[in-house]
Amino acid sequence: MNALMNSVSLLKKPFGGKTGATIVLSSLLLTACAMAPETPPAALDVRQKLTELQSNPETARNARIELRDAEAAVELAEQPVDNDQTALAEHRVYMADRMVEIARATATTRQMEADRQRMGEERDAARLAARTLEADTARADAESARRSEMAAAATTAKAAEEMQRQIDELEAEATERGLVLTLGDVLFASGSADLQGGSNRNLEKLVDFLSTYPDRDVLIEGHTDNVGSASFNQTLSLQRAESVRRYLTDHGVQGQRLTVSGLGLERPVADNTSAMGRQQNRRVEVIIEN
Amino acid sequence: MRIFPASIINRRFPLFCTLVLASLLAACASKPLPPTESLNAARDTIARAEQADARQYAGAELEEARAQLVMAEKAVAEESMTEADQLANQSRVAASLAMARTEAAKAAEINREMGRGADALDVEMGRQGEQK
Repeated sequence: MNALMNSVSLLKKPFGGKTGATIVLSSLLLTACAMAPETPPAALDVRQKLTELQSNPETARNARIELRDAEAAVELAEQPVDNDQTALAEHRVYMADRMVEIARATATTRQMEADRQRMGEERDAARLAARTLEADTARADAESARRSEMAAAATTAKAAEEMQRQIDELEAEATERGLVLTLGDVLFASGSADLQGGSNRNLEKLVDFLSTYPDRDVLIEGHTDNVGSASFNQTLSLQRAESVRRYLTDHGVQGQRLTVSGLGLERPVADNTSAMGRQQNRRVEVIIEN
Repeated sequence: MRIFPASIINRRFPLFCTLVLASLLAACASKPLPPTESLNAARDTIARAEQADARQYAGAELEEARAQLVMAEKAVAEESMTEADQLANQSRVAASLAMARTEAAKAAEINREMGRGADALDVEMGRQGEQK
């Protein structure tokens, strides 16, 4: 028993000595740890850059994965290293720094892409607005064109109506040669080419009509009955037509619009055997060309 | 006593093995493997950066990546494999940065072009507006 105790104490003694040595050694190591290994100062700069990026909400959103990787790299770079491991510390700082910069560049790219999409949308909107404006303008133009067309049509219709009214007033007859106005022989004394009374209601209306439609040319034809020789009648018919022409030019109708001819007894419109028929044949026809 | 040498061999076999292993390990330590993976990754990333026109948009970063790769290869030749691995990784990350900055520069360029196009459109629309 005693021997056993002795042996235990013998065993214990060197063991206790070892423990003491271990404690001393550990404390020495701990002291060394507390003094030598520290966070590399360069890592602090990288940490600051990373914190700036992380605190920007847009950057944080645009480069989430890159920032996470950079965070891990910075954490590694921040780990204290021994004085004899400066190469490792520099390596870790280098890696962390580049990864922070990658996150920054990536965020910039994504921001630009987002801007681009926004710009594209804005431009599309502007284009649409321009096109809408263009379409509206075109529609307005078409509308006004339609209106003026309608107005023009209305004017034309009104003018046509007015002309018809004047034609009716003239008591002219629409034929394929134009409007034919027949001035009866009551205008002229028998055998005379002079206009009776100097004036006539029908001629006044003719002057009005011709001044309203200045582009209408006029053919004035004199006709007679079959009393007397053909040459006499021809001359007389021409002189009567000339009288009408003179009346018209005297009342402001341009002479070049007027063509005069004497057709004598060649074109009777009624039977020359009766007085009534002969009277109808003695006439001046004013043909207003279309 | 003829058996004696054999017994010596038997007894010394583990020692023999240990010696062999130790010599092998020593061989390994004196001829360590180069960081092939890191080196290849660096070369790949540099190639991709070059394809992305990094030479034009991020020339300094690309140059840095190349320089790091050269240093890594030199470290391999000097058999400082840890250093080689670190340099290869630095080369790779520098090339990645070159690529990221290239993309950012390209994006900025496109946006400037678009801005000019939009300005031209505005001018045109302004003119149309004046006509009305």
